[in-house]
Amino acid sequence: MPSHREPPQTLEDVLAGEAVLGVYRQMFAALARDAGAVVDDPEMVDIAETLLSAFAEAGEEGLSREQMRHVCRHYPAEAFENRLRVLKGLGAIREVFPKPNQLRYRASFTSVVGLMFVRRMMRDGGQSEMHRLLALEQLNVADPRMTAEQARDGAEGLARAFRLWSVELVTLTHSTIEELREQAPKLWGTAEIIERAERLHEAILRRWPELEDACTELRAAIHAYGDASRRAAARLADSAGTTRNLTLLPAESWRTFARTASREELAAVLEGFVFDAPAPWHDPAAIVAAVQEGPRTVPPRPAPPRPAVPDAGLVERVPAGRSETDRLAAVAEQVLRGRDRVPVGEVLERDWPAARRLLADLSAAHLRPELPYRLVWSDGLRVRPDGSPSWLSDGVFERTGRAS
Amino acid sequence: MTEVDPRVLARARARVTGPVADAAAAPVPAGLVGVTDGERRWALPAWPDGATPALLEEYQSAPMPLERPGPLRRVLAAALRCCWRNLDDDPWPGRPAQIADVLEVHVASVRGDAELMRRWAVGDLRRLADTGWLLLDEEAGTVRLGPRTALWPPESLPPLRALLRRMPPPPAEGA
Repeated sequence: MPSHREPPQTLEDVLAGEAVLGVYRQMFAALARDAGAVVDDPEMVDIAETLLSAFAEAGEEGLSREQMRHVCRHYPAEAFENRLRVLKGLGAIREVFPKPNQLRYRASFTSVVGLMFVRRMMRDGGQSEMHRLLALEQLNVADPRMTAEQARDGAEGLARAFRLWSVELVTLTHSTIEELREQAPKLWGTAEIIERAERLHEAILRRWPELEDACTELRAAIHAYGDASRRAAARLADSAGTTRNLTLLPAESWRTFARTASREELAAVLEGFVFDAPAPWHDPAAIVAAVQEGPRTVPPRPAPPRPAVPDAGLVERVPAGRSETDRLAAVAEQVLRGRDRVPVGEVLERDWPAARRLLADLSAAHLRPELPYRLVWSDGLRVRPDGSPSWLSDGVFERTGRAS
Repeated sequence: MTEVDPRVLARARARVTGPVADAAAAPVPAGLVGVTDGERRWALPAWPDGATPALLEEYQSAPMPLERPGPLRRVLAAALRCCWRNLDDDPWPGRPAQIADVLEVHVASVRGDAELMRRWAVGDLRRLADTGWLLLDEEAGTVRLGPRTALWPPESLPPLRALLRRMPPPPAEGA
């Protein structure tokens, strides 16, 4: 089903949605009747989640159909109907009392837990689930009610999971960088998992020595997993070093590298770079500001009083406000070069930083009423992909003839 | 080893080492301006169209983080007060001044424990000398303005002149 809500989706969004769906498909592959049975739009999962959280807030009253529609008002109607039908059909949402013409609905607890589980699986591809499974198994093994048969089942299940995991990691060793980055979370913290698994294996073997064969299988699977993950991790570390792609490794790995690497290794990272010597700039204005803001011993000396009439000593010096006008006039005269008007396009025929400044000066000259220049723009736009600037409006810069 | 254009190499070296004095007759690498005081010549980066790094601050992107810029600039102001004696001229090259005089001016213009202020100011003088703002001769106990002060655009100087006129004079002059 196409996405209805926000048509302009970026490729990144589509990719992220596709990754999420990939996890769903993999998880429910064991239960699906045919390949089309699993959702193919991330929005559909969002609808389900919105509905379930609305049910949680509604309490024992449940929600009517209208209320459900209101909660999902941001989603298109047909998508909502479709979702509701499926959720009802599978029993995730059902009538409060099973009788005809029932108008209020409640949500199933199991579906909510299932969705939470799915979201968690999505984050690290099931690695934390493995941690939890191992911890649970460990508790089970210590439980006096546990039978040898159950322990065998547990050991065999774990061995199978580790086998499949290591197969996936082996393919990772030969895959592309993109795939490697996607799957990278599966590689983090493997040492801890191996340690836990070995502890569990020991516990089973100590309590039920007769399960030797199942334990051998488990041990082999753990070792295979350890090898595969080490090899994939080496590949990952290599690629991370050569691509400078910082997302390939977790931040902790980079921090550890920065702390433990030798000086040569650290220097090699920036081999071939040249750095400018430190050149701080102290602008006169900044110096003045620093001195004026600084703590003082004596109250600041007041500036010497200025006479109200112009001082003869100042007549020759150009006042500050005047000099900017003069500068603009000089720029304008330089552009006009004796002519009365000049096309702006011709003047701006130069690299953009210089053209930009010139344009700013010309605009300033235009805006000063005391200067006899103006910019006149006309319609028309020239696009020049190879030129600089890459587009130009037609216009002329001209002398108006009225002097200040 | 590939052949590197010697001019490119000279420019790279000038940028890496910062302002280093050279013989006055030595050629200036492209993209740099030579600042000379008659005997020696420093190569400093040239900025396009008369802009200075102060422009970066207008865009609120500091070109280089400075530690305690306030005290550092106050020390520079004290050095300017002592070395730039004829305020109608350009600051560069200025005159050498005694480090002790600069410290006195600094202590007189800021509040705080005089001994501590002197010690900090010496550190700031060294930092300013490292980056080409001052030329420090600690053996002779003198300080001069550095070549970077020659890059101040003349139109930015009037406020600085006004400030220096109001600052306390060096002790030799005041006595």
